[in-house]
Amino acid sequence: MEKIQEFSRIKFRIKDAVYEGIVMPRTLYEDEDHFTVKLNNGYNIGVEKGKIEILEIEPPKVSSEQPYEKGFESTGPKILILGTGGTISSKVDYRTGAVKPAFTASQIVDMVPELKNLASISVKTIMNELSENMQPSNWTLMAREVYNAFKDGYEGVVIAHGTDTMHYSASALSFAIENPSGPVVFVGSQRSSDRPSSDAATNLLGAAIFAAKSHSPGVYVAMHASMDDDIIAIHKGVKVRKNHTSRRDAFKSINAKPFAHVDVKNLQIKFSEKKTEVEEPMNIYEKFSERAALLRFYPGISEKLLSSIFNKELFDAITIEGTGLGHVSRKAFPYIKDYINKGGFVGMTSQCIWGSVRLTVYETGRDLLSMGVIPLEDMLSEVALVKSMWVIGNGLDLKATMPKNLRGEISERREAL
Amino acid sequence: MKVGFEIHIQVNSRRKLFCNCNPKDDDSSQLEFRRRLRVSTSELGEIDPAAAFEIKKGLNIVYVSGDKTSCLVEADEEPPHEPDPYSVEAAIKVSNMLNSFIVDEIHFMRKIVVDGSNTSGFQRTAIIGLNGSYAFRGKNVRIQTICLEEDAARLLEKGEGYVKYELKRLGIPLLEITTEPLEISPEEAKALAESLGRTLKLTGLFARGLGTIRQDVNVSVEGGGIVEVKGVQKLEQIQKVIEFEEKRQKMLLEVAAKLKERGISEESFADLKPIEVSDVFKNHSNILSVKRFFKDYAFALKAPGLKGLFSYETVPDSRLGLDLADICRLFGFKGIIHSDEISKYDFGQDILKELENKLEISENDGFVLVFGDKEKAVLCLQMVKERLKMALKGPVAETRYATEKGTTRYLRPRPGASRMYPETDIPTIRITQEMKDKYMVEIKSWEKAVEEFSSRHLINKEMAEQILDSEFTDFFENAVENYKNVPPTLLASLIVQVFIPYQNSGKVIEYDEFLKLLDAFSKGNIAKEAVIDVARYMLEKGVNLESALKEMNIEKLSLEELRKIIKEKIDEALQENVEPSKLYGTVMGRVMSLVRGKIEGKIVNEEVKKALENINKA
Repeated sequence: MEKIQEFSRIKFRIKDAVYEGIVMPRTLYEDEDHFTVKLNNGYNIGVEKGKIEILEIEPPKVSSEQPYEKGFESTGPKILILGTGGTISSKVDYRTGAVKPAFTASQIVDMVPELKNLASISVKTIMNELSENMQPSNWTLMAREVYNAFKDGYEGVVIAHGTDTMHYSASALSFAIENPSGPVVFVGSQRSSDRPSSDAATNLLGAAIFAAKSHSPGVYVAMHASMDDDIIAIHKGVKVRKNHTSRRDAFKSINAKPFAHVDVKNLQIKFSEKKTEVEEPMNIYEKFSERAALLRFYPGISEKLLSSIFNKELFDAITIEGTGLGHVSRKAFPYIKDYINKGGFVGMTSQCIWGSVRLTVYETGRDLLSMGVIPLEDMLSEVALVKSMWVIGNGLDLKATMPKNLRGEISERREAL
Repeated sequence: MKVGFEIHIQVNSRRKLFCNCNPKDDDSSQLEFRRRLRVSTSELGEIDPAAAFEIKKGLNIVYVSGDKTSCLVEADEEPPHEPDPYSVEAAIKVSNMLNSFIVDEIHFMRKIVVDGSNTSGFQRTAIIGLNGSYAFRGKNVRIQTICLEEDAARLLEKGEGYVKYELKRLGIPLLEITTEPLEISPEEAKALAESLGRTLKLTGLFARGLGTIRQDVNVSVEGGGIVEVKGVQKLEQIQKVIEFEEKRQKMLLEVAAKLKERGISEESFADLKPIEVSDVFKNHSNILSVKRFFKDYAFALKAPGLKGLFSYETVPDSRLGLDLADICRLFGFKGIIHSDEISKYDFGQDILKELENKLEISENDGFVLVFGDKEKAVLCLQMVKERLKMALKGPVAETRYATEKGTTRYLRPRPGASRMYPETDIPTIRITQEMKDKYMVEIKSWEKAVEEFSSRHLINKEMAEQILDSEFTDFFENAVENYKNVPPTLLASLIVQVFIPYQNSGKVIEYDEFLKLLDAFSKGNIAKEAVIDVARYMLEKGVNLESALKEMNIEKLSLEELRKIIKEKIDEALQENVEPSKLYGTVMGRVMSLVRGKIEGKIVNEEVKKALENINKA
């Protein structure tokens, strides 16, 4: 069967009717035995090669379509929007059906026209990774870009990021930048930005408003507060977790209230916690080590696994996600003891997600304490892992630094609400 | 004139097309959430201006979600599940039944819809069959496409800048069957829609009930564009709507010819702009009409050559002026004032002269006037300008909706090629030759079906056909099954005499109350003759069974009470010296007028006869 070039216009016959259409590219997951044809009515159909009688083929025209770049103006405090790969802004080419990223300043203002009078935006793409592929080296790059942005006089920085590991990156940056000069707001979207229903635009708007106008330095995550489109929650980067696979309000502050909310209809910020103050000097500690690990404990955990993880040759710090108040089975004790004696650091968090660990309440906890396990109070396990990678990477002392509340990752109190 | 149909019919699957909700379940609770749909400003221009205006204003959408009849998928909080296999099969079956070419791969597309009726901002739709045919009165009607798609949410309320939808209907699988435009008469068109509808109903693949089948009708006359008329729910309307459209469109051809005669062309509209005329009204603020309409702003647009053509109509309610008023309403105005009717508003000659001067009105020109704030007024008049420009061409492609009376009103401009792109959350579905060979359904004969229904339930053929054509087939069959001592003929009468005529009024029938009515009859608490009357009363007054019975004073009469009445009436008749041969008739008549519905006519008959016999014996 002849190979027809993608985007060729063809005239073909089905039974006694003649149709016109464009030959569409096949995706990686589709076979080569069929054509995908876009008919004049806009629908795509899949037909077996050889089933249709092709009457005419017109080779594809070179598309003279310019990407949308309209002159635009946006005024207000200067903010920088960094792109890391999540498609927070995209455009559909209806001719081909392809969804293309649309990540220039004018394209973003096209998508979120409210920004015109709110902030003077600049846009920079610094990497192109699905967030599940992020590595500590990406965090280092992000931290550097943010640090430089503040040095260059930006009021705030927004980082567009995939939602899967956005909380890991937010923690990384919280530690990497000491005393940021302004807000650093991570933002993503659960429903892709090509849809009219996407949460991208309002999330971005909320993030930009907070970055430009809150004057509350720190690292945050901005996502929908509920299923409604009106309010964007601003969570502290070290107190937030992705708790749902698909909902708009997947991100929730854990063991804390969201730091603030942005009403994107009325363009107003409402703080639930006290604003932070700018402190000097701003320092960057951008290294992260991979000699740290996170272990989720469970009944029946294999001793082979325990022995391979509690290995000082491989890892300097293990964060355990224990059960309940921070417990593991006594089966693990010898491995933990041995590891700590060899100089390893073991920090305890809970897989319950909410609540604080307390090793003084039950026997198991007390045994772990006596071994030298360090309770990390209500620090999220993901945050503890990233913190340990950062501590090791920057040559700090694990035992002293891990339990210390550096960026608000440990709450002194947990409210009943 | 050419007519085409798009029939949308709900598949009777237990689940929705892209999730496992059952729309027939009973919700135990509901929640509401608020959304806004967004389209980039660069794309806004490609959508129709009124929709773009709504979005730009920030149309607030409220969705109501029942806990059992919708889930995170309908709320656009979870990706769609794999398509319902039963619906895919049904689509293949119907495509085979209509002799279509069935695609080898189903590619679901996203069709952009921004009025809020789809939570994701698009409708998922796919072509299953192409180029089919349907035999009708010796012709082969070509079926252009057979598509499988999801139904939209149901509009509950609409207000200033806000709409409210219910999610129960969203996601129900629909088959959309589109015929090619045919040269047929309005009567034939109605018959075709009826025939196709009946054929589809008899496959047993589709849901039955109110709103499960909807048709859009496309009408075009020679020299004009295709007008799509949405929401023609009832077959009776189809004929009326087509007749109206044919006349309206021919009238627009006349208007176009007249404009040409007057030397109007596209050129005449080239530099035309809405002009602010607030000063004209400010200067005459003491005039009553000015006080009535004018607040702060007034804007007007010259309409070249259109004098007399705003009000011109060959059939009532078809005039151009109505379309312009409808366009203005989309922007939140109450209406528009055009030059053909301005004299009835008593603005006075001075204002008229000033307007004509300001707008540079010549002999054959007209103008339109709106009162309201600048942004709205300018956008609205720009859309009006486009509409007037189109009048040069005659009837243009646009979307209208059908009214109860069988007329049509403007809804929105016909979109260009639909904005569609692949639904990448759903992998392509392979349709194998095996599947194409396996999933078949035949065209059943309507006459045979009617006969079979009629003989199975022992009701006459006319009633059988009416019931099968109606939304109430399921109700009938369930009632026959569950209320075995209700004669099917009574049930049939209930449907034919009460439900069907009532349904044409468009109101919803609460079946539960009528099941209670059948129950009461089953238990002998209501006489047979009363059932129809009570049912009618319940619907007309909108009351439940209990209230109806109370208000109608229908309480079953005891035998004793009946005998008392009979004795009374006999005595009365004897007193009046009624002729013996006429005695029975008189007494029966008088008694029945008192007890009708409260006791079986048969029993009254027996008792009267008995009583008279006893008297004769005496």
